[in-house]
Amino acid sequence: MSEIELRNVTKRFGGTTAVSNASFTIDDGEFFILVGPSGCGKSTLLNMIVGLEEVSEGEIRVDGRRVNDLDPKDRNMAMVFQSYAIYPHMSVRENIAFPLKLAKLSREEVDRRVGKAAEILELEEYLDRKPRALSGGQRQRVAMGRAIVREPKAFLLDEPLSNLDAKLRVQMRTEIARLQNRLGTTTIYVTHDQTEAMTLGDRIAVLRKGEVLQIGTPRELYEQPHNLFVAGFIGSPAMNFVPARWSGGQLELPFGALEMPTDSANAVQAMEHPLIAGFRPEHLQAIDAQAHTGLHLEARAEVVEWLGADLFVYFDIKLEGFETLTLPEDLEIQTGHASRHTLVARLGPGPAVKEGDTLRLGLEPRDVQVFDAGTGNKITLSTGDE
Amino acid sequence: MTGRPGNGTMERLFWGVGSALVVIYALIPVAWIVSLSLKRSGDLGDNRFFPQNVTLEHYQVVFSDPQFSAALWNSVGIAGISTLAAVLAGMFAAYAIVRLEFSGRRLILAAALCVAMFPPVSIVGPLFDMWRILGLYDTWAGLILPYMTFTLPLAVWTLSAFFRDIPWDLDKAARVDGATPFKAFVYVIAPLAAPGVFTAAILVFIFTWNDFLFAISLTSTNNARTVPAAIAFFTGGSRFEQPTSSIAAASVVVTVPIIIVVLIFQRRIVAGLTSGAVKG
Repeated sequence: MSEIELRNVTKRFGGTTAVSNASFTIDDGEFFILVGPSGCGKSTLLNMIVGLEEVSEGEIRVDGRRVNDLDPKDRNMAMVFQSYAIYPHMSVRENIAFPLKLAKLSREEVDRRVGKAAEILELEEYLDRKPRALSGGQRQRVAMGRAIVREPKAFLLDEPLSNLDAKLRVQMRTEIARLQNRLGTTTIYVTHDQTEAMTLGDRIAVLRKGEVLQIGTPRELYEQPHNLFVAGFIGSPAMNFVPARWSGGQLELPFGALEMPTDSANAVQAMEHPLIAGFRPEHLQAIDAQAHTGLHLEARAEVVEWLGADLFVYFDIKLEGFETLTLPEDLEIQTGHASRHTLVARLGPGPAVKEGDTLRLGLEPRDVQVFDAGTGNKITLSTGDE
Repeated sequence: MTGRPGNGTMERLFWGVGSALVVIYALIPVAWIVSLSLKRSGDLGDNRFFPQNVTLEHYQVVFSDPQFSAALWNSVGIAGISTLAAVLAGMFAAYAIVRLEFSGRRLILAAALCVAMFPPVSIVGPLFDMWRILGLYDTWAGLILPYMTFTLPLAVWTLSAFFRDIPWDLDKAARVDGATPFKAFVYVIAPLAAPGVFTAAILVFIFTWNDFLFAISLTSTNNARTVPAAIAFFTGGSRFEQPTSSIAAASVVVTVPIIIVVLIFQRRIVAGLTSGAVKG
């Protein structure tokens, strides 16, 4: 168990910078997530922490001690690989015992620890099998077992669930969370899946193109994203984005204008740029015509997804007089094309909505976040906003 | 081979007959030599494929010849050491070529290929002179060195192909688990590369065991003369006979070890392949 601190950590491969200037501290016992689209440098960061990649600049400290030049074998961290990386020529028992054998522990101690790990992971009956006789989920457990037997300073998990099928993934996700709770070991978990990040993490760092964009609890990232990318990356279905402009003290959207409470001159100045307005699907609510203070829009349901507890309604709006929206490609959000722009609303399961129905939806000004279309940074509208 | 259902029988027939033809074509000379080695000296010219009277006298002659047993010992020793040395060196070279980022990796592989394509006969003359000066003429080392040179490229190429298929996450995992690079290689990478190692070993062993050119040129006595060269110096059982039968018997005797080696290693290759057949 330890605290891991990164100070201005940078990694370069030849001319390209894989990670630039990452600085953050992972607290003792914390479940910390590195999330981002592929190629964002999250695995590189993990490899630097465990010592498989050298740090080009900056330093990594574990419990205050600089580990930059420490060999991976001396860092006492355990890692679970995306490919599991269990040794195919060894039995499950030998696999789990391997780190202990290298640490030259006594035979009794090895047996005791392997037995305990096998018990925690429910692998007891498979101990003498070879990995090829195991299912994907069991192999995953063996990899976890090899990590926990050592009682390491930290667990590092590199997309451990991405090779499992959807159902097993959810199951293993819960198991990993429970295991981490029980052991209380500092854990760093790399994933590209925002759902895993949101459900597992105490705190999440969102990375993109080698830069740490924002670090915070899942709730902070969801409710107060610092920029367009985080806003779009966190949350499923993704946040709705529409082009917007500032005119006469109002925020004009393709389907109406909103009175935005701005009391800061900086914000007003920033609002002169081209803007993007964002709001979560759940912030569009079905309303009665009169009793609503915010913005109304009429929507004709194009696609309706009923999930039991949730109802997602997809509808198109027209972008009359507005530029077509260009979102960062790595967000992978489809918003339609040309003049057609698709939005989604998350409604309660109550009223039955059919495709083709027309709905009245309301949007409150406080639920709308405004981003600079050029830089992607969030524009803080009022001092009381955060 | 899975064909369309209607073609099943025809296809099996095609492959069966094809394989049989190839096997017969390859084995007829071997059978002939076996037959010759079992015929009585007087029957050599009887124009029959199968011996009328089977005799083992030629084998007795071969084994009672001190020249042959010396040569057999030389062959085993020289081929064994060359194989071991070439495979070991090839293993480290291939590991480095596959694993490490250094400039000239491709150059090394290409250069190794050039060595393999170089006609051995063109260096035998100079080697003969050099070995005489260096005192390597007619010694084991004098044969092991050129054998290693000519088989290393083979070993490096085979092994690097196998190493390339080993998931390197395993190596990383071992390092994180607390292994030094050397231990990671010994405990994890080497066992997984075993099928490749045995494949390379077979190829190298066959090359050195069968070599005639270097063996005849760089040896002169029983000190280092290997079996293929020694056979050329065979005389008959008596001075009035052609040594044909003895040569045939000796050939059979030297073929047996290689068959055994191949069978042993082949088992290991199959075992190795299946035990490694796991998604990393």
